[in-house]
Amino acid sequence: MTRITCAEGVDRLMDYFEGVVPADIRTVVEAHVSGCPRCAAFIASYCETPRIVRQATDVTLSTDGRQTLREFLVKLRSS
Amino acid sequence: MAGPDTEMSDEALAARAAAGDASAFEELVTRHQNRVYRLACRLTGRESDALDVLQDTFLQVFRHLASFRGEARFSTWLYRIATNVALMHQRTRARHPAESLEDFLPRFDGSNTHRQTPEELRVASRVEELLNHEMLAARVREAVERLPELYRVAFVLRDLEDVATEDVAVILGVEPAAVRQRVHRARLMLRGFLSDLAGVRP
Repeated sequence: MTRITCAEGVDRLMDYFEGVVPADIRTVVEAHVSGCPRCAAFIASYCETPRIVRQATDVTLSTDGRQTLREFLVKLRSS
Repeated sequence: MAGPDTEMSDEALAARAAAGDASAFEELVTRHQNRVYRLACRLTGRESDALDVLQDTFLQVFRHLASFRGEARFSTWLYRIATNVALMHQRTRARHPAESLEDFLPRFDGSNTHRQTPEELRVASRVEELLNHEMLAARVREAVERLPELYRVAFVLRDLEDVATEDVAVILGVEPAAVRQRVHRARLMLRGFLSDLAGVRP
C-alpha cells in the first residue's frame, strides 16, 4: 500500500495512536495527513473528543455520599 | 495490629483486608471510592444510581476479597466488579429506546474523501467555547448513555478513566484489538455528536 484515502485513514486512527500499526502503514498514513487539511482537522477534533467528554462528565463523590458509604460498610462489617 | 501504611500497595492492603484487617479495607475504600463513583456515574448516566452501584461494588469486594489472588492489579479486579455491577444495575432499570448515534459517524464522498471542509471538521473541538458548561455536561452525559453498551463501556474505561487498553481487555474479557475497535467507534460517534452540538451536522 502506497496511498490511502481519508476513509481508510480514519479507520486506522485508533491503532495509529496506540502504536500498533506496522511501520509501512504508519508512513502512508502520515504522508496522507500531511497533504490533507481535511484529515488534519478531523484528527484534531478526534483527539480532543475524549478530553471534552472527560471534563464534561467529571464528578466527585460528595461528603454526604462518603458518609453514606461509610455507614453502609460499618453495618456490613457488624452484620 | 498496626493501622495500614498509606504507602502500602493496594495488593498488600487487599491481603490484609482478606485476613480480617478492617483498617486495611477502609484504606482501600478511601483510595478508590471516588474513582468507582465516577465510573458508575459515567456508565449509568445518573448520580443517584451511582451511589447504589458504589455500595454494591464495595459489598461485592468485601464478600469476595478472599478470591483476589493478585494475578491482576487490585484496581483492575475492582474495576471489573464495578463495571459488572453498574451494567447489571442499568439493565434492571426500564429504559426508553434512545436515538442511535450512527448518524454522527463521519461521511465521505464517492472517492472516500471527507465531505466537509477543514473548518467544519474542526468545529467539534470548539464546542466548549460555544456552550456553557452545564448545558454541555447534560448533553454529553446523554450522548454517552446513548452509545451502544459495548462501545460505552470500553470508551468510559479507556478514554475517560484512563485504564490501559490491555487492562480494559482483561476487565471485559476480550482481546485488546476489540477494545481499540470499540473505543474508536465511540470516539467517532461522540466527535460527530459534539460537531452537531456546535452547529455542524456530520
